[in-house]
Amino acid sequence: MKILVTDDSRVMRQIVIRTLRQAGYDDHDIIQAENGRQAFEMVGAEQPDLVLSDWNMPEMSGIECLEALRASGSQVPFGFVTSEGSPEMREKAANAGAIFLIAKPFNEDTFKDALDGVIS
Amino acid sequence: MTLSAAQPITELLDAETVQSIADEVWPSLVGDGEAFLPVPVPPPAELVSAWVDIIGPWTGSVVLTCAPATAEALTESVLMTRPPTVVDDEDVADALGELANVLGGNIKSVLPGESRLGLPQIGSAPSRGRLDDVCSLVGQWRGNFLTITVQGAIAAPHAERNEVPL
Repeated sequence: MKILVTDDSRVMRQIVIRTLRQAGYDDHDIIQAENGRQAFEMVGAEQPDLVLSDWNMPEMSGIECLEALRASGSQVPFGFVTSEGSPEMREKAANAGAIFLIAKPFNEDTFKDALDGVIS
Repeated sequence: MTLSAAQPITELLDAETVQSIADEVWPSLVGDGEAFLPVPVPPPAELVSAWVDIIGPWTGSVVLTCAPATAEALTESVLMTRPPTVVDDEDVADALGELANVLGGNIKSVLPGESRLGLPQIGSAPSRGRLDDVCSLVGQWRGNFLTITVQGAIAAPHAERNEVPL
C-alpha cells in the first residue's frame, strides 16, 4: 500500500511517518508532499492508496487539495492530520469527502482508531 | 453569549487551560515522558519565539518563547536525533514553529466563535496589544525556561498572504 503524507512541516511529516510505524503500519510505501498542490499532482503521478494531509499549508491548503481531487474525479481515500479539530472543520472535511480527521497532538492509538479498516 | 471584538483573552482563556493543552502537546510531540512544568525559572538574555496568529472574534497570537539552546534541544527531542546527528537552523525553525502551531490550533479550538489560524512564524515575538489582553504561562522543560503567551494584537491585522481560510 502506498501512503502520501502531506505537510509543509518536514518535522511533522517525520512525526506522522514515525507514528504510522509505531501504530504498526510499518510495511507500506511512504511518499511525501510539501503542500496541497504538490499532493494533488502526486496523486495523479504516483496513484497512492491513501492521502494523509495537513489542513493549513501554503500554495494550496489540504481542503482545497481534497476538493480539487474530487472535482477531477479522483476518489483516493483522504484523511486530515491537522492542528485543529473544531466541529466546523470536521463537518467541512466530511462534506468534502474526507474519511477522518486526526487532530494534533496525536499518538499511535489515535492513528489506529482512525486507520484500522482503511489500511489493510 | 454576546461576543465583542474587544473582549480580552483573559475573559476567554485561563492559564490552566493553556497548561492542559501543553500537557497533551509535550508527550505527543516532544517525546514520551516529556512535560512542560509550570515552574518559573529566570528567563535567559537571548530569546527566540515561534508563533501563529489567530484571526476571529478574538485576534492575536499564540507565542512559544525560549532560549536558542532550548529550541535546539526541543528540536532534537521532537526529531529523536542522537549524536553525532545535529539539527540545523531549518529544523529548529520547523520544529519550534510546529509546536506553536499545534498549541495555537488547540487554543483556537477553545475560543468562542469561528476563527482562522495563520501559518507558523519564527523570530522576535510580535508586539503585545492591550495589557489585559495577555495570558502567559511561564514554565520549564528539562530545567530550561519556556513561555507560552496568548496575546492580543495591537490592531486587527489585515488578511495576510499566509492566512488560510477554514
